Amino acid sequence: MNFSLLDFLESIFFEFRYAPLIIQVAILFVFVAISLTLVAYFSILRRRFRGFRRDKNVARLNELIDELLIDNVLSQDPESVETPGQTAETAAQAFHLPQFSKRRGRQVLIDRLLNYRNNVRGAMGDEIRTLYLLLELDKDSFKKLKSRKWNRKVRALNELSNMEIGVADVIILPLTNSRNRELRAAARHAYIKLSKNEPFKFFDLATEPLLLWDQVELFRIITTTNHIAIPNFAQWITYSNNKSVISFCLKLVVHYHQLKAIPAVLKLLDTKDHLLRAEAINCLGKMKIADAEDKLAYIYNNQPLNCQIEILKALGRIGSGKHTEFLKQEFQLSTDFELRKHAAKSLTNSEPPGSELITELLETSSAENKLILKHCMNPLIKF
Amino acid sequence: MSKILLIEDDEVMSTIVKRILQKAEYQVDHVRNGKEAFEILEHTGYGYDLIITDIMMPYANGFEILSKVRNIPDGRQLPVILLSNAGMDDMIQEGLKLGADDFLKKPVLPAELLMRIRRLLNKEVS
Repeated sequence: MNFSLLDFLESIFFEFRYAPLIIQVAILFVFVAISLTLVAYFSILRRRFRGFRRDKNVARLNELIDELLIDNVLSQDPESVETPGQTAETAAQAFHLPQFSKRRGRQVLIDRLLNYRNNVRGAMGDEIRTLYLLLELDKDSFKKLKSRKWNRKVRALNELSNMEIGVADVIILPLTNSRNRELRAAARHAYIKLSKNEPFKFFDLATEPLLLWDQVELFRIITTTNHIAIPNFAQWITYSNNKSVISFCLKLVVHYHQLKAIPAVLKLLDTKDHLLRAEAINCLGKMKIADAEDKLAYIYNNQPLNCQIEILKALGRIGSGKHTEFLKQEFQLSTDFELRKHAAKSLTNSEPPGSELITELLETSSAENKLILKHCMNPLIKF
Repeated sequence: MSKILLIEDDEVMSTIVKRILQKAEYQVDHVRNGKEAFEILEHTGYGYDLIITDIMMPYANGFEILSKVRNIPDGRQLPVILLSNAGMDDMIQEGLKLGADDFLKKPVLPAELLMRIRRLLNKEVS
């Protein structure tokens, strides 16, 4: 058998050796391709097996953590008033197991505790936080924060912010301006949650623009974080060199209906940047600042189209009826369709549907303007 | 002992709520999604005193379960508490419009959970 195999291999080698060069190259290519495919399959299989083993271990550890938490933390009477930390101290003793002495085991424990903490508040949530501290898991998180890898830093920031463990400004503030988008967002999130006095201090340092998605995320964090100190956003509207910060602050001014920031917003009407000016006008309209109406109507003719549209919208939102003549004129005489549309919408906001002005416009306008006006009178139409 | 059906797909959340309820001496059955919920409700002939359901779930969401429970053949008014995540105020409003008896925002406050359950169960008894 051995002899015949050797014979077979020898004949193949012989065939290969005396084959034309192109065939030799082709055989080599096929051989390399098959070998690489096998290596790739093997590495995928190995990775999947390791993942499967890791998941199994995590599931086993999670089961153990659940049992320990159920017995030691969740077993307390939710309505009893015990000294905070008393339960956690007993629980911490139970968690001194070899499984949680290694790095991986401790990471699983941190993740599970975070999961519990995110689902329960009150005394039980505080006990979980105390347990995290008693098991010195915060040291693991701080170690990760010092890592060079950005993903470990992000993880550490999430852990510390969810467990409400303070981090020094000198560590966290530079991260809020990191070039890595994920890290920057996590650091800002953590800073807002952890900084009790000045959660928006990173606005002063932000040199990179706040991307629209960053703004959406930040807005969500700010508006859903409890007990947050809301500053006067006028300071950034007036002094920040970062246009995206100013734009974001304008949105926050509207959300918090911050009337004390209005003088700064009014000053922004004189800025050379027409995009910011349009946002300032939008802010004034949404805040229904009637004092701004005259100035808006006054500057209207010198503005680019986007600002003119915002002015018309703002006049409609304020809806005092003081500038209906101006709106009527724009509706009738403007050559731009968008301007006529917004003037019509603002007119219908300022004047009741059966009013003399609306009736008059419906009778005297051109066919197209009549269509626009009727469209705007539909209460379901919002723009 | 009152019987409560907990419909929640999140493992940790269900462990917490189940434990709190068991500690307060309620009998709790737990299912992980809307499909299982429909099955157990049909199987037991809606034999529960109260239902606690998450809103966002696979197969059928909390609203679909609520609609089903509001149309029990024998016309019984089974109390339903909705569990929702923070920032889902619109959904809570929607749920209350559809006839939910109460709602709880995650993360839950154990004492609040028990208080709301007791209030609804006592109302049922009276």
